[in-house]
Amino acid sequence: MKARSPVSELALPLLVAALVVLAVLALGYGDLRLSPARVWAGLCHEDTLAATIVWQIRMPRVLVAMMVGAGLSASGLVMQAFFRNSLASPGLLGVSSGGAVGAVVAIALGWASSSLWTLPAAAIVGAFLATGAVLLLARHGASRERLLLAGVALNALLASITSYLLSQFTGPFEKNTQILFWLLGGLEDRTWEHVVIALPIVAAAALLWPLGRPMDLLSLGTREAQSLGVDVRSLRRRLLALATILTALATAVAGTVGFVGLVVPHIFRLLVGPEHRRLVPLSLVGGAAFVLACDLAGRAAGGLRLGVVTSLVGAPFFLWLLRRLP
Amino acid sequence: MTALAITNATVPGRLAGVSLSLPRGKLVGLVGPNGSGKSTLLQLAAGILPPHGAVEWAGRPLAQIPALERGRCATWVPQDAQFEFGFTVRSVVGQGRYAHGDDARGVEEALASFDLLSLADRPVNQLSGGERARVLLARAVATAAPLQLWDEPLAALDPRHALETLRLAREISRRGATVLFSLHDLRAAHGLDLVVVLHELRLRACGAPDEVLTDALYLDIFGVRVVPAPGLSLELP
Repeated sequence: MKARSPVSELALPLLVAALVVLAVLALGYGDLRLSPARVWAGLCHEDTLAATIVWQIRMPRVLVAMMVGAGLSASGLVMQAFFRNSLASPGLLGVSSGGAVGAVVAIALGWASSSLWTLPAAAIVGAFLATGAVLLLARHGASRERLLLAGVALNALLASITSYLLSQFTGPFEKNTQILFWLLGGLEDRTWEHVVIALPIVAAAALLWPLGRPMDLLSLGTREAQSLGVDVRSLRRRLLALATILTALATAVAGTVGFVGLVVPHIFRLLVGPEHRRLVPLSLVGGAAFVLACDLAGRAAGGLRLGVVTSLVGAPFFLWLLRRLP
Repeated sequence: MTALAITNATVPGRLAGVSLSLPRGKLVGLVGPNGSGKSTLLQLAAGILPPHGAVEWAGRPLAQIPALERGRCATWVPQDAQFEFGFTVRSVVGQGRYAHGDDARGVEEALASFDLLSLADRPVNQLSGGERARVLLARAVATAAPLQLWDEPLAALDPRHALETLRLAREISRRGATVLFSLHDLRAAHGLDLVVVLHELRLRACGAPDEVLTDALYLDIFGVRVVPAPGLSLELP
């Protein structure tokens, strides 16, 4: 077998290092700037003020950013293998919008305040409905174009549902603001509650870890994979459930954040090739770093929301990809 | 011993009541006009279509064989495949060893057999149709499965690679595997151990080529007349 290139050997350690650096920067950045040394003092509770800022205010946002990034990026990777389509991603297929509609319905009907878990549950239901719709449309081996056009239609439908709900709740200003938050994904005012809601992302990522090898075979053809010994039915069911839950949880804590699932797996596929045993860990860590960096950049640029930043980065990348594809 | 037994297989609109039994170590051609059900029969035999009728591999009902083990018992090659992702030729052929714990045994030999060593590090999504067909065949051979089901393996190949593929199929069958493959070149079919003829979704005949492929059958099924002619005949040097 061919020796691994240095890029693929070093990619993961470098990424983990980058993630730590970004986390320290993000913990130090804000109205009160903290040096890395003070961030460390705060983490160790040696500096009371720094500890309060780091642990109470900034850490939840950093953790949520990392989990959202890992979740969306891994979800995109899975969808690309599942649909054998390198342009598939939670945003383009409408799964993110499905999760957002679920969350918005829960807020609009006042369920969201009843329990911590109502909102993520509603997001998961919405995301699964959207995934089901995509599957129906793609059942008979949809072409790349057909799958993406189905996503366009689904996104439009879901946007109209959200707009309707918004127009129905013009009165209660607070609800409206909450709903808008989910439409323009962001990480403002995230608390430890949100960290808890997003925590199952870590479990889903762990379940995804060993599926890299069979994903390789599936990504080159369902029937071929079956003939080579992959339990295709069970694998497809697990992958789709994981991708949907990852997107739903990310959407439940950060709203619709676009293009992460498209951009991150693609960058790593270009760097280390298409083998999923390497792409799964790289997409998880890389996604975390990407969203953390985007959030930091948005804050440094004077409070741009996360969803805006990822779209500013992702949309041109998507167009560039479209040009490269045959 | 039986390598493949199919009993009363019906797939609505695609295959009607086909029963078939193939012994071990045979090189078997599957012929029939377009739309006669060849691809469906191969997919059914490979256990890829949901079961209609009963399929047995080496005397074992398919339903009793777990997914991973199936990858060691039989393998199927599609007529053509579009690859979305740029796996290297070597890694795609290596997928043939998935059911063997990815041990990479026989991968280099399979690459060499299909003249792929010079392409081994190329991404599969940049290959020509004939090169893709050879990659799919090499992957199937790398599985070392005793039942090889190939859907028109020769259709996209140039004359030399087609002849080499036939020679390799012959070699595999001598070592005990049964190779069932569909083809349209009826002259090549005459050189095989057995021929299975499908016509209008039904099994029309199964037997030795010279007994089955008669002038009457050609006219009846394919609508062509056999004319003895001293035409072009190709062989490997």
